[in-house]
Amino acid sequence: MSYKKKTTRNVRPGRKREKWTDILPRYLTFLTHMRPILRETRRIIIDLDADLLLDTEILDKIREEEEKRNFRKVRALSEFSAMYRSNIYEIIKDFLVKYRNQIPIIDIKDYIIEFLYESVGALNVLSHITNPDEANLENTYLYVLTKFIEERLFSRGRNLSIIYSKLLGYSSDLYDCQRHMLQPHTYYREKLESSDLFEIPGISPKVYNIINNVTSLFNLDPNFGEFPERENQELPMILKSEVFDPYIDSIANAEEEAIEQISERFGLRIIDGIFLVPREDLVDLLAENNFLRKNSQSDGKVRLIPQLSNESLFLYYLAFASQRRGFLSKELINWISMNFAFLIYMGILKWKLSDQNIFYPIFKDLQTNEKILPYLMKLLCFPNYLGIDKMKIRDSPQYRKEIFNFIGSQIDNLKDFISEIAEFCEKFDKERKNN
Amino acid sequence: MESNQESTWHELLQDFEKGLDKAIVELDKRDVENIPGAKEALKQRLKNMRLHFAKNNGEIFLKSIDDKIQNAFFPNTKDFSEAFQKIIKSRTHEQDFIINELLNGFVASKAKAVATGTQGPVIDRMVEAFSKRNDFHIIDHQFYAMFGDPNKPRHYIKSQLEELVKLFGLVSKELIIEKDVRKSEVKIFTFYTFPEKIIKILEEKYLILDEKLEYTYVSEAFDRNVFICMFLANVAINRDDLDKIGGSYTLNGISAIFALILLLSFLPKLSVDETNPILNDPNYNADTMSVIPKSWMMRQVLEPLFEPLIKIIAYRLGGGLWLSKIIASDINKKIHNQIRFLLKDVNKWVLGQLVRVEIPIFVEISNIFTEIVVGYDES
Repeated sequence: MSYKKKTTRNVRPGRKREKWTDILPRYLTFLTHMRPILRETRRIIIDLDADLLLDTEILDKIREEEEKRNFRKVRALSEFSAMYRSNIYEIIKDFLVKYRNQIPIIDIKDYIIEFLYESVGALNVLSHITNPDEANLENTYLYVLTKFIEERLFSRGRNLSIIYSKLLGYSSDLYDCQRHMLQPHTYYREKLESSDLFEIPGISPKVYNIINNVTSLFNLDPNFGEFPERENQELPMILKSEVFDPYIDSIANAEEEAIEQISERFGLRIIDGIFLVPREDLVDLLAENNFLRKNSQSDGKVRLIPQLSNESLFLYYLAFASQRRGFLSKELINWISMNFAFLIYMGILKWKLSDQNIFYPIFKDLQTNEKILPYLMKLLCFPNYLGIDKMKIRDSPQYRKEIFNFIGSQIDNLKDFISEIAEFCEKFDKERKNN
Repeated sequence: MESNQESTWHELLQDFEKGLDKAIVELDKRDVENIPGAKEALKQRLKNMRLHFAKNNGEIFLKSIDDKIQNAFFPNTKDFSEAFQKIIKSRTHEQDFIINELLNGFVASKAKAVATGTQGPVIDRMVEAFSKRNDFHIIDHQFYAMFGDPNKPRHYIKSQLEELVKLFGLVSKELIIEKDVRKSEVKIFTFYTFPEKIIKILEEKYLILDEKLEYTYVSEAFDRNVFICMFLANVAINRDDLDKIGGSYTLNGISAIFALILLLSFLPKLSVDETNPILNDPNYNADTMSVIPKSWMMRQVLEPLFEPLIKIIAYRLGGGLWLSKIIASDINKKIHNQIRFLLKDVNKWVLGQLVRVEIPIFVEISNIFTEIVVGYDES
């Protein structure tokens, strides 16, 4: 017999609900250590005679002196500060060695001061991204930037039709980004056939291919059958087996078994066990956006002829996920919030730092990212922002590494969008100052 | 020997002609087009192909495959760096779509560790790993750190790195540390980088050398396609050794995708009515895209065309060895069937119309066809 007292609650240790006032200070922790280091360095460079910069050993000595002043008690913070400071000094030294024979030293000094000034400016915006009490919300960077990105990639609206139209409106410029939002790189953890019917997972590459096949088959040569809910109308139908026909034996088995749930998320349904057919709400939505054409036939029936585009069904999934954002899978929540955090962070950097700023690599470094972005992700989950379940944000450093490895993203469309966000920041800042 | 080759080539051309006849018959049976004249344009094009393709020992194929496809994707050489240089030089932004599709779509057997399945992002991580350093090397320890504790790497991560190194032909160098800081034990780190000759090629565009500091940074242009070009170069030089390129699955995939590219290049552009909604669709750009008939995508039309075309590509790229591996088995048919829907970013749907993005390889091959046909007509 055990004398150990059994717990009556099933809460995992350390998983307590975190409030805004718990997370914001954590977000600010590292930022508040980075900014003074940059400012101190800037002050030191300003006070230093330009000629002294020619000798890089002097910089080493200054750094050593600065490190001695380190009085922080928390090990992680003092380690981070030392790493951060040494990175800054190394970059300055490299810059000096590289250009001291080409550019007058006085100009080099000015450049360094300017780059440091820009960097302090970027950290300043990142530190004041929002208010501790969320007062005057509409005037904060975090809020306006989230809404700016949300409107384009994960729109909100009263109903599916409004969300779909908004997404479609931006799709000509940002479809790659929209598609990217649905494709977490950790998709292999997702269960296609979840026991929880409501849960919405991300799109795996296989599902992506299957939906492309579905689009092609609807456009090519669909069958037509009666519209169950509407008399005198005929719906396009494709054979389920034809969708899976190209796959070899066990490849796509999982998708075939979960096809009902997959099709549900794309606005489709299975009729008579063999046909894939659009649901009534999808029919209305497609017809509204010219993806279905009504053709009156001589027998008096109206045939709905599909004329789908590549994005027609994917945007439905995105709209569906956006509308039911409370039910997103853990992987998708982490992925979406990470991408939002990344876009906001990079947008601010792009706005504040010139492209040739020598300190850019420090900001883009994984070690810096993982100190800032995880908390930004959590802040973004609060109801005023994305309104998704922040309890599903994983805290494991391993997982962070896994997803952050991608944020150097290879997608051109994301890079273009970051430039657009930077322009918006500039505009918003001007407006704010004018008011 | 030579007469054998000639008779094989002749048979392949004849099979293609028969395929064209069948496709024309099938095309007559159904009409899925909704642009007036689309079906007729396709039919006329197929008839033209029937008339001209076999002429002059299949001149159109020889020029399209040997000159264009082979030069851009599978240079005919045994020298790895020469093959790599040709492939990477033919890169354009749009052509990268094809390269990406190639890898994502079919090289599942060999490149599973690179581009598909659960390890999808591995290749991107390689790019990240090279980008993060200033000496254009990666270290095994650094690679392991991306997937867990670098001091206790999982077995499959280790073997994956080995496979990638082999696949891309990276070179390695070991560094032995007598006492590491962590446990004061002997530690061996392995550095990986590109072969010297490849680095020389990359220096032109993909690397930034800082001679003073002796640093080497990767430029913005350095991306996953650099690795994919390495992979293609590997296929090109080892085309006679199927074990090294992933066996018959790979060559069936490669042949099918280039058959699709060839077919797409030969399709006629349609002129659409000025009231057609596609012209107002923001996703359609009349300057870079053209509407093509969609009937060719019907299985009944495509199948008789596709199989002989795949064999032609296989024969031109890999000779009799590749041709012998294109067997009309169920599995191969399924691979071919998958490829029908594969090129989705350059062959996409806009409002129910099939649109071809006019990327260079399509334009070049299509020009060959036009030039030769016009030449014949004039003579």
